[in-house]
Amino acid sequence: MRLSRRGLLRAGLAGTAATALGGLASGCAVPNGSTGRNMVLWYWSGGLSDTVVKKAKARYDDAVDLDAIQIGGYYRSKLITTMTGQAHVPDIAGLKGEDMASYLPNADQFVDLRTLGAEKLKSQYLDWKWQQGVAPDGSLVGFPIDVGPVVQFYQPAVYEKAGLAHEPKDVSKEMGTWEQFFAAGEQLKKRVRGAFILTDITSVFEMSIGQGTERFVNRDKHFIGDQEHVRVCWDRAVEAKRRGLASSIVTGTPDSISATESGKLPSQLNASWNAGDLKLQYPKTKGRWRVANCPGGPSNVGGSFLAITKACREPEKAFEIITWLLGPDNQAQGFIDAGLFPSTPASYEMRKLRESDPFFGDQITMDVYGPAAEKIPVAFNSPYDVALGQPIRDEIKNVGVLGKNPENAWKDAMSKCRRIADHLGVST
Amino acid sequence: MATAPLVERPPAPVAEPPAYRPKKGVLSYWRLYAAISPFYLLFLAFGLIPVGFSLYLSFHRWDGLGSMEYAGLSQYRYLLTDTDFWSSIGNTLIIWALATFPMIFLAMITAVMLNSAVRFKNVYRFAYFLPNVTSVVAVAIIFGSVFSTNFGLVNALLQAVGLDQIAWLNTPWGIKVAIATLMTWQWTGYNAIIFLAGLQTIPGELYEAARMDGAGPVQTFFRITLPLMRPVLLFVLVISTVTGLQSFSEPQVLLQSTANESTFSGGPDHAGRTMVLYFFQQTFDNNDFGYGAAVAWGIFLVVVIFSIINWRLVQRRGED
Repeated sequence: MRLSRRGLLRAGLAGTAATALGGLASGCAVPNGSTGRNMVLWYWSGGLSDTVVKKAKARYDDAVDLDAIQIGGYYRSKLITTMTGQAHVPDIAGLKGEDMASYLPNADQFVDLRTLGAEKLKSQYLDWKWQQGVAPDGSLVGFPIDVGPVVQFYQPAVYEKAGLAHEPKDVSKEMGTWEQFFAAGEQLKKRVRGAFILTDITSVFEMSIGQGTERFVNRDKHFIGDQEHVRVCWDRAVEAKRRGLASSIVTGTPDSISATESGKLPSQLNASWNAGDLKLQYPKTKGRWRVANCPGGPSNVGGSFLAITKACREPEKAFEIITWLLGPDNQAQGFIDAGLFPSTPASYEMRKLRESDPFFGDQITMDVYGPAAEKIPVAFNSPYDVALGQPIRDEIKNVGVLGKNPENAWKDAMSKCRRIADHLGVST
Repeated sequence: MATAPLVERPPAPVAEPPAYRPKKGVLSYWRLYAAISPFYLLFLAFGLIPVGFSLYLSFHRWDGLGSMEYAGLSQYRYLLTDTDFWSSIGNTLIIWALATFPMIFLAMITAVMLNSAVRFKNVYRFAYFLPNVTSVVAVAIIFGSVFSTNFGLVNALLQAVGLDQIAWLNTPWGIKVAIATLMTWQWTGYNAIIFLAGLQTIPGELYEAARMDGAGPVQTFFRITLPLMRPVLLFVLVISTVTGLQSFSEPQVLLQSTANESTFSGGPDHAGRTMVLYFFQQTFDNNDFGYGAAVAWGIFLVVVIFSIINWRLVQRRGED
């Protein structure tokens, strides 16, 4: 096809006009939230059970047109972009657990769920989880989806070989404290050549922090990462290094896969959702795993929320949908479909969650997860926790991997934290 | 004077086509400007305005959702004394150097060999280009396996020749070498194709003359090929500087660790944390959009400095 000069000009003009019009259209006639029947729900792949979402669509079909969209990629930045842009904001939005603290200072962008009668449902949910969705001004921003109780995944055959306790009940009891767990690690190392009870020491630090009631920054915006409760966790991780309990293997490489399959890394401290990863990564090890309590007590990693944004025009309807989606029955379904561990203790007693799991040698894993989830301590999660916890995490990694002197590492972490705190307006 | 005879007035400008009237100036070309305007309008909307906004942002504190708070120059003052930012510049430059010089060397050899090879030339060209179009994420995952300590290909080769294992992804220098190797692998073929294009512009008579004067292959290479390839070499250097200073996905995927840790920390001792990775961590991990914008402008300055150095190199060539 030959383009004439006139044709080219016309195409150019049309393009310009389209661009200009497009610009105008996005400037004024924007669907800000729901209009009439439309109700948009944003979540991420695996964030909700697909079965339950489908059922919700059918159930609320007469009242609203529920449009549940899975958002890929970096979820949080996409959500805050639409919220800041005030265009195409979803009515209901999933908020990831690790981002929750950063949404709370902006509670005014969300509907206070207390005004919709959330308090009546409070007793059905884990209290510590409920508290995490509460903003500093007392309003309820997030409605609990799931939690991530930390347990010890282990291979009983290897523990038995090392002369350690190997039945889940015994392991939970005889490795109940960190000291017992470390002692078991030393015995394992002695009896089974090349085996380590820990992949790295960062997990010791991380789980220990989760077992406490304080983190790095308190409610008064004051840095507390230099205090005793953090120092104890730090020293515990350093101790694991000193006693040579951690391997030098990098997670995710063929090394770690091979070592796990051959029983050289027979133990993992991780959240309940890690069961799904184990099944996916090590299908050959089916039946060779068990679940026991995490040494030192329960801890939590991950777990998300649903919130209603200010853009929603029918908050009552949205709240009805949320509470139905996250009722004990549907939470149980979420655990079966997507490994979302329920935040509703009533689900733990349901028969479908008490089935034996062949991957874990027909163990009823709920017996370990359930009680752990109920005993997780409540800790205040500051929006500055990520920024001020990072230098400490980085330095414990340097101690673990590079063998940096722990005292120097602690000093470096603290001086960096003070600088960052000062910059962020956090008092030290 | 006012009584100038009307008859002496110049003829009415009917003969002159209206488009050439000088007084209409730029406006007379409005159709042409309109025709090329879509790009500029899109650039304005999606390029220039965000750039301007990021400058505005760098003078504020902002968590991405709430209200912005004016912070004056404090973000920049912090940037200047931020050792993490400076070390990320250092990392970027070291990785760039480790990747670029072997890459140019290998690409040149490959191109010279391709230029003299006769059979399957197109197959080779295709094969050399392939690494460049492969997804960086996929490549980084494979390289993670290649550089793993106990079962990695590199350590297997080292042990085969009687050397010790190296914990590539667990030591500061190992990390840098691993990232640089990945980048070299990715870009060698691409640059070889560009070198090949350059080699083919060198007239054959020069080589014939050299041969008649008794020059060997080495002499021919250094006296004829290399001097005439200089503009191509500079082009390759500029392109590799631009891509090297932007490296982000390579360290991010290669060094991503467990869910408890940031994927932007760049491994032990931040050895693989490049400038862009640092920018990303500050902005999206810490929700510090104001400081993130300041870091982005810091990166911009570094790139400007390097562009000036490149430009000076090209200028000097012009003076020769």
